Amino acid sequence: MLSVDDVSLSFGGFQALRAVSLVAMPASITGIIGPNGSGKSTLLNVVAGVYVPDSGAVTLNGRPLAYGRPEQVAAAGIGRTFQVPRLAHRLTVFQNMMAGERDQAGEGVFNLFLRPAAVSSREAEIAGRAEAMLKRLGLAHKANDYAGSLSGGQQKLLTMGMLLMSDPAVLLLDEPAAGVNPVLIEQQAALLHELKAEGRIVMLIEHNMEMIANVCDRVFVLDAGELIAAGTPAEIRADERVVRSYLGMPA
Amino acid sequence: MLDFAIYCLTIIAVWSVLGLSLNIQFGLTGLVNFGQVLPFGLGAYAAALAAQAGLPWPAGAALGLVVAVAVSLLVLLPARRLSQDYWALITLGAGELFRLTALNAPSLGGADGLTVPRFADPHLALGAALALMAVAWLMSHRIAHSPFGRLLKVLREDEVLAATLGRNPVAYQRTVSIIAWAMAAAGGVLYAHIVGYVSPSSFTVTETFIVWTALILGGPGNNLGVVVGAAAVQLLSVSSRFVASWIDLPADVLANGRLALFGLVLVLMFLFRPQGLVPEKKEVRDAQRR
Repeated sequence: MLSVDDVSLSFGGFQALRAVSLVAMPASITGIIGPNGSGKSTLLNVVAGVYVPDSGAVTLNGRPLAYGRPEQVAAAGIGRTFQVPRLAHRLTVFQNMMAGERDQAGEGVFNLFLRPAAVSSREAEIAGRAEAMLKRLGLAHKANDYAGSLSGGQQKLLTMGMLLMSDPAVLLLDEPAAGVNPVLIEQQAALLHELKAEGRIVMLIEHNMEMIANVCDRVFVLDAGELIAAGTPAEIRADERVVRSYLGMPA
Repeated sequence: MLDFAIYCLTIIAVWSVLGLSLNIQFGLTGLVNFGQVLPFGLGAYAAALAAQAGLPWPAGAALGLVVAVAVSLLVLLPARRLSQDYWALITLGAGELFRLTALNAPSLGGADGLTVPRFADPHLALGAALALMAVAWLMSHRIAHSPFGRLLKVLREDEVLAATLGRNPVAYQRTVSIIAWAMAAAGGVLYAHIVGYVSPSSFTVTETFIVWTALILGGPGNNLGVVVGAAAVQLLSVSSRFVASWIDLPADVLANGRLALFGLVLVLMFLFRPQGLVPEKKEVRDAQRR
């Protein structure tokens, strides 16, 4: 269980998050919506270990996270994507996927020179998994292309695949559907449902309300750093405050 | 003439080692080291000091490697919390700090420098230089085409991505610095024994600039490119001497003209062929091979 407990954060005089609390359960998809500047990305960055909250706590299965140390948070099983996908553009799709796996014998210099057999057997194992993951994402035909040459939607799929290589318990996704063509959005939604079925905690920021309605079990609404509503997508759509601050009146 | 050719090859091999070291740092990892001459100079001075103390050359070599690694960690301390632009400034400053110290410390020979026992046989010097280059090449090759090298390239492309994948960028940068600085220091030890003396004027920012020119010309990220670049720059440098004596050019004009030429090479490369003469190869996975 991922739990955000009473988290506040300000930048100078600007209060970005005000006592935000929420819980995301395993095998569930949690949506975070709200107008621009409402604190969605800030919240994601706190959970991902980029920002240190002024007060409050973020815990995964009761264990507090290493605030301000993104690499440790990632190693604790919390994977995150970015609104603009981050990839090694001048490496191939396959190499990017391989780099997603942690605990690689071949990343230690001593192993490299003194235990080459251990390095190559682990490498073969990772290559097999990377291949399977590329097939699952429908990117197998792109394996030897530079990652930078993929379309925006494919890049987003690839970053999710890279995270999945190290089998994270939590996936934080920053606007996975933004700028992605409808076919790939459907593919993404299917993937999210699979990840949910695998028992993972999925949390996403999204402006695409159709995507939210299709995949989310529970939605939290932020406005000016404050949580103003929580519920199922249907409940949120009916909430008058949410309609007023974010969704707008139906035409 | 043969002796001269042997000398040229020896020098090209030594500068290739320096280039390969810089390639691990910049070509693979994206670390902008503007003080590449520092580990080189540390190695050379360690060789000289050990020789002055009457110690055999392996002692000087060991001292050079240890000191270079220790200094790399020291230079890294402030750099670890700063972005990579500051890395360039810190390494540039550290290199100059060392040169000025050597210039002003009588125990380091001051401006006159120190003498070092030379290789008795130029063939032996060439052999040693080629052997060191081979070791540096093999190490670079192994690193570049390994999971470690793959992660270094990820780091080069995007440090935040590496952290997002659960790796600590600073830890990898530290490992890279240790390996690369030890490599450059070994080159320095050899250089001292080839030339027969060390002095501060051999370890200026210009030397760093020459290594960078070789790397950018040859192709960052490609070992062969580095050696091609080092050879081109050194041969250009040597041949300019003949041209100068032929058209009767004063030595100072020649020295500055050479630097201007290297600068022009850099600008042209950045404009028209930033990937270098021998670009980094794409690592293609061959599905048939399994």
